[in-house]
Amino acid sequence: MAVSALAQERLCALRHEIARIEGVLPERLAAPSADGQTADGILMRRSGRGLPDGDLLPSHVEPLDALLGGGLPLGALTEIHAPTARAAGAAAAFVLALGSRLLQREPQKHLPLLWLGTTEAFSEGGLPYAAGIRETFGIAPQRLLFAEAPKLGDTLWIGEEAARLPDLAGVILELRGNPRMLDLTATRRLHRRAQAAGRPVFLLRQSAEQTPTAAPVRLLVSPAPAALRQTLDGPLRGSLGPPGLELTVAKSRIARPGTFTLEWNPHERRLQLRNDPLSNQAANRPSRAYPTVPGSVVSLSVDRQDLAPAPGKVMGFPAPERRAAGG
Amino acid sequence: MHPDLDIVEEDPEADRRLLEALADWCDRYTPLVAMDWPDGLYLDITGCAHLFGGEAALMADVLKRMRGQGFDVRAGLAATPGAAYALAHFQSGAIIAEGAEAETLAPYPLSALRLAPDTCQGLESVGLRVVGAVLSAPRAPLAKRFGKDLLLRLDQAVGRVDESIRPRRAVPSLSAERRFFEPIGTLEDIEQLVLTLSTSLQPALAARGEGVTSLELALFRVDGTVFCLRVHTARPLREAKLIQLLFHEKLAAVSEKLDTGYGFDLLRLSVLTAQPYVEVQNDMIEEGNSEVQNIALLADRVEARLGRQVVVHPMEVASHIPERAVAHVPGTALIGKEKESGPRSTFSRPLRLLRMPEPVEVTAEIPEGPPAHFRWRRMHHRIVRAEGPERLTPEWWRDETGETRDYYRVEDGEGYRYWLFREGLYEGEPRLAPLMKEKADEEARRIESKIAQPTNPATENEDDLRLASPPLPRWYMHGIFA
Repeated sequence: MAVSALAQERLCALRHEIARIEGVLPERLAAPSADGQTADGILMRRSGRGLPDGDLLPSHVEPLDALLGGGLPLGALTEIHAPTARAAGAAAAFVLALGSRLLQREPQKHLPLLWLGTTEAFSEGGLPYAAGIRETFGIAPQRLLFAEAPKLGDTLWIGEEAARLPDLAGVILELRGNPRMLDLTATRRLHRRAQAAGRPVFLLRQSAEQTPTAAPVRLLVSPAPAALRQTLDGPLRGSLGPPGLELTVAKSRIARPGTFTLEWNPHERRLQLRNDPLSNQAANRPSRAYPTVPGSVVSLSVDRQDLAPAPGKVMGFPAPERRAAGG
Repeated sequence: MHPDLDIVEEDPEADRRLLEALADWCDRYTPLVAMDWPDGLYLDITGCAHLFGGEAALMADVLKRMRGQGFDVRAGLAATPGAAYALAHFQSGAIIAEGAEAETLAPYPLSALRLAPDTCQGLESVGLRVVGAVLSAPRAPLAKRFGKDLLLRLDQAVGRVDESIRPRRAVPSLSAERRFFEPIGTLEDIEQLVLTLSTSLQPALAARGEGVTSLELALFRVDGTVFCLRVHTARPLREAKLIQLLFHEKLAAVSEKLDTGYGFDLLRLSVLTAQPYVEVQNDMIEEGNSEVQNIALLADRVEARLGRQVVVHPMEVASHIPERAVAHVPGTALIGKEKESGPRSTFSRPLRLLRMPEPVEVTAEIPEGPPAHFRWRRMHHRIVRAEGPERLTPEWWRDETGETRDYYRVEDGEGYRYWLFREGLYEGEPRLAPLMKEKADEEARRIESKIAQPTNPATENEDDLRLASPPLPRWYMHGIFA
């Protein structure tokens, strides 16, 4: 234990040294102290100045933020991968969840969010739909700008030009596959411009392999089964409630991997960790403790000894055991 | 025919294009160029001659350059288009002073007057063979016999009646140009010149209190080809740097098609449209650009490069049909205008909508419910959970052929959530037009049966009722949820 702690300390010292030399690390480095307690993160920057917290975009999901060193870097390129075109919905949900935070940062300025993509990406994954975005994330259509270009070169050019505009809240650049043009140089240009403007560029990639890019953070997002709708009665079986998504941190400067199952809470408009295994379980297997007939208005006393009969159950013969739509 | 003659079929379309190209080229002398089909051009050089060292020098320059391009060209210069026409056709290179038209034109044949052929013939048949003879003939009998047109042409030629030519283009309100003895050919030089030219437009724009909204850059190549590049801006613009930036994108976009050849010897930047420009007092420290302007500039640059509006705003429209509920308006005018939107659907809408609903193959259909399995984009999906249906009836006031859709929000075993719909009803779509017709038919039958003897109405009704069974509903994928 002591040896490993020492090794960790040395590793950390080395990282600090590298950070000092590189001088541009915009994230926290977790430095474990000798007694095993994690000390506060240390911020490194050129000329040794500390990094204000405002330069991070926290997701407000604590374990995720801790893993990313406080949140996603604000002025940076962030890669978000969707394994398939079908998963573009979940990946878009994660980006928009961050985007809705982003739009709240300077509410008096009404900065819009630009969503840019190639025609191919929009054909495969679907066009962003403002009505659904407003409903789920509360982003007004006036705060959104869409752009679509048939050629990748043009799309990247618009992305680069948009990335350096301080008057956009952020840029979402959606591409498909692994085009050769999107190499280390192209992503570095995007990253540099985002850094200069202090605005994030989210590189949303569909069905792409993980290849080296300049983005300091790479996240993989795929959908997870939705939670059940909560009613007065408890979760409603067979319903589709808050959408879930599975997030894997594939790359970050701190280089600690992690996988989270997140859930978008449309009422509070925030991401949260899915910590309720019951709802997950209930989604697939019906639990007898919950009423089988949706529609009872009064919540049942689940934890008492004598269960009140659910309304609609009083019949002359025993009701056949019902199953959720999923079985 | 002589064996050496080369015979080529007439190609009026090519001739027309050539004449238009020549007219473009003639823009270097004056903005007022009119066509005289099929073989002539009118140039109104009022106020332009001094730029070329006088009228004679201008005409000599036109003739020299045109001949240099390999054209056999004739020109005449007069105070009226009619007289200039006569000179160009019968005495190339001549210039007549104002007022001397009648005596100069007198010995010319009648075809110098731009008359209809049968009028010419008629005049010749009565012995009036030259312009002078017609001019001195009494007017009333001429008008009586040959129509008013003859007198009009006569008066136009000698300047008794004003004639205006019809220029091909509106004269730009402002333009700046630069000529070179040594042609320029590189894009960098052109961009630099755009900056110089737009800077020279500044004082005039400032004096008018205007900013440009569309600009045209005309590049005159030495061999006579003219390229025109246009850029548009979303809001009035005055800064020379920004104008240069827009042309930079435009030039980058057309660089493949822009054949510089031996270079350009004249560049002209014209303001096509301008709008009042609101001057903003700039902050001493900050750049005075508001955020909207920067985004607008980006949109303009993107438009200049890609040739069309690409940056769009979503806007909600009062319609319950999903693809119609959001319209995309080009431009950036809506930024920052938070407005109250109309009633919202209480049902879930997807985050992404497919461009067109994509047909899915349903393998296990449940009538009036979501399918258990379906195949989309060659992938098989099993539905685990579903919510719906949300029935959307077509907007009959827009199109009568639309069909009812039942939307389901479904989730497959892996957690992917889709928006599926079934188009069409099992019992067939209720249609307004057939219903009305049926009603009218029924009414007619009722009246008929009252008048005539009822002859076995039962069989008749049976025939009507035996309708063809409606086509089966089809399934489509329309969107992807979060």
